[in-house]
Amino acid sequence: MPLLEVGPLSGGYGDADVFTDVSFSLGVGEIVTLAGTNGSGKSSLVKAILGLLPRTRGSVRFDGAEIAGWSVGERARRGIGYVPQVANVFPSLTVHENLQVIGVDDQRQRIAETYAAFPALEARKRNRAGSLSGGERQQLAIARVLISRPRLIILDEPTANLSPLLVNQVFDIIQRLPSPGVGVLLVEQRAREALAISARGIIMEAGRVCAAGPARELLADGDLARRFLGQYA
Amino acid sequence: MSSGQWIANQVLNGLVEGLVVALVALAITLVYAIARFSNAATGDYLTFGAYVTKGAATWTGSLAAGFVAGMVATALLSVFFYGWVFRRLLQRSHVIALVASIGVAFFIRHTMTLFTGHEPFVFDVPIVRAWNINGLLLQPTDVAVAVAGVASLGLVFALLHFTALGRHMRAVADNVDLARSSGIDTDRVMIALWLLIGAIAAIAGTLVGLKSVIHPEMGWDLLLPGFAAAILGGFASPIGAVVGGLVIGLTHELAAPFVGYSYKLAVSFLIILAFLLWRPGGLFGRVEEVR
Repeated sequence: MPLLEVGPLSGGYGDADVFTDVSFSLGVGEIVTLAGTNGSGKSSLVKAILGLLPRTRGSVRFDGAEIAGWSVGERARRGIGYVPQVANVFPSLTVHENLQVIGVDDQRQRIAETYAAFPALEARKRNRAGSLSGGERQQLAIARVLISRPRLIILDEPTANLSPLLVNQVFDIIQRLPSPGVGVLLVEQRAREALAISARGIIMEAGRVCAAGPARELLADGDLARRFLGQYA
Repeated sequence: MSSGQWIANQVLNGLVEGLVVALVALAITLVYAIARFSNAATGDYLTFGAYVTKGAATWTGSLAAGFVAGMVATALLSVFFYGWVFRRLLQRSHVIALVASIGVAFFIRHTMTLFTGHEPFVFDVPIVRAWNINGLLLQPTDVAVAVAGVASLGLVFALLHFTALGRHMRAVADNVDLARSSGIDTDRVMIALWLLIGAIAAIAGTLVGLKSVIHPEMGWDLLLPGFAAAILGGFASPIGAVVGGLVIGLTHELAAPFVGYSYKLAVSFLIILAFLLWRPGGLFGRVEEVR
C-alpha cells in the first residue's frame, strides 16, 4: 500500500482551479520529485495535500486513510511533516525554541539527537531563528520537522534562494531522509538535481501532470529535459 | 519641597501609574500579536474585573479572595466574548474585529451599570500616612500596587518565555500557518490567550481601583494611554508594551502640572499622533521584524 495516494485531485482559490486531476502515489523509502515551472500549480497541490488550500474534487489517502476530515494540525500530528518554501521557521523564537514547539514525549532526547545530526544548529541554539543565515535557516526548517518523526516529509523548494554550495549541502541532507518507514515528496525547480536523488518524478505544467515516471527515464527524455529540466543544467 | 524632591515624587507616581498602563498595553499587544486586531474592549474587561473584585471582596471580607474571583470572572468573560464574537471574525478584516470590540466594550459597560449604577466605589483599605524618605513621599498603597504590577508582568513574561504554552503563543504570533502545520493546537492557544487577557485586565482594574476609585469609565479612560504605550512599544512587542507603559506613566505625571491634570490624557493622544506620523515602528522599530 502506498504511503500517500493522491487523486485525481483538483483544487484552488475561489472559483478557479489552480491544478486539475492530479494523480500520483508515493511509497515508503523513496523520494518523489514534483517539478514544474513557476505557476505550474505544484505549491498549491502541496498546500491542498496539507489542508492549507481547499480541494474541489478528488481524494488524498495517507497510509490508506482518506484525510479530508483531518485538520491541518491533525495531519501534522499523524505524521505528515511539512517544510514550507519561505517562512519555515519562527523568526522571533530561538533555534532551541523552534525545536521545542514540536510537541513530542521524549523531547529532550530528540532535540539532543537533532543537534548531533545538525551541529551548526547547536552552535546557534540561543540565537533567534530570524538571525540565521539562509543555509542555517533551511537546516533548522528541516530539523524541526524531523523532531516529530513524520512518516511523510514534504519539502517545498528547499533550495530556493541558496548559494550553489548550500544547495548541494541541502540535497545531501534530503538524500539521507528516506528510511524504511519514511517517504519524501520534494517540490523543486532545480528538477535535474532533484531527480538525480529521487526514485520517481512528476512534472506539472499549467496545473496538470505533463510527465511522470521513474526519475532515470525522465532525465533521459531529451525533449522533456529541454523543456523543463534545462534551467539549472 | 525642593524641585529635586518634586521631580523624584512625580517620577515615582509616574512609574506606579506606568505599571498599570503597562498591563493594559500588554493585554492590547498580546491580542494584536496573536489574534491580530486592536481590542478596544480591553478597557471594559478591566472595569468588569475591578467591579467583580470589589463585589467579591465585600461579600467575602477578603481582598485576596476578591482579587482571585475578579481574575477568574474576567478571564471567563474574555473567553466568552472570544467564542461569541471574535472567533467568527478572525478570518475577516481586523477593522471589523476592532469595531466589534468597541461594541463589546459598550455592551459590557452598560449591562454592568444596570446593576451597579454610576456611583463610584472604593476598596475598603485602611488609609495610611505616606512614608517620608528624605522628602520622597511613598504611599504604602502605591508600593503594594507596584509590587503587584511588577509581579504580574514577571509572571506573564515567565509564561511567555519559559512554558510550552508561551512558546506556542509566540509561535502563533510569528506565523499561524506554520504553527498549525507544526501540530500546535491553535484553538487551545487562542483560549489560553483570552483567559490570560481577562486575568491581566482584572489585575489592572483592581490596581487602578486601589489607587483611586472604581467607576464605569475607569477602563475606557485607560484605553488611550494603553494604546499609546502599545504603539510606543512597537505594537507587537510585549517588552515594548511594558517600556511604553512606563514612558506614558512618567510623561503623564511630569506633564500634568504644566498642562493641568484633566488634560494629561491629551498627552497620550499627542504621543500616539507623533509616533504614528514619524515613527510607526515604535521606540524599538520592531513591527516588521515580529510580524
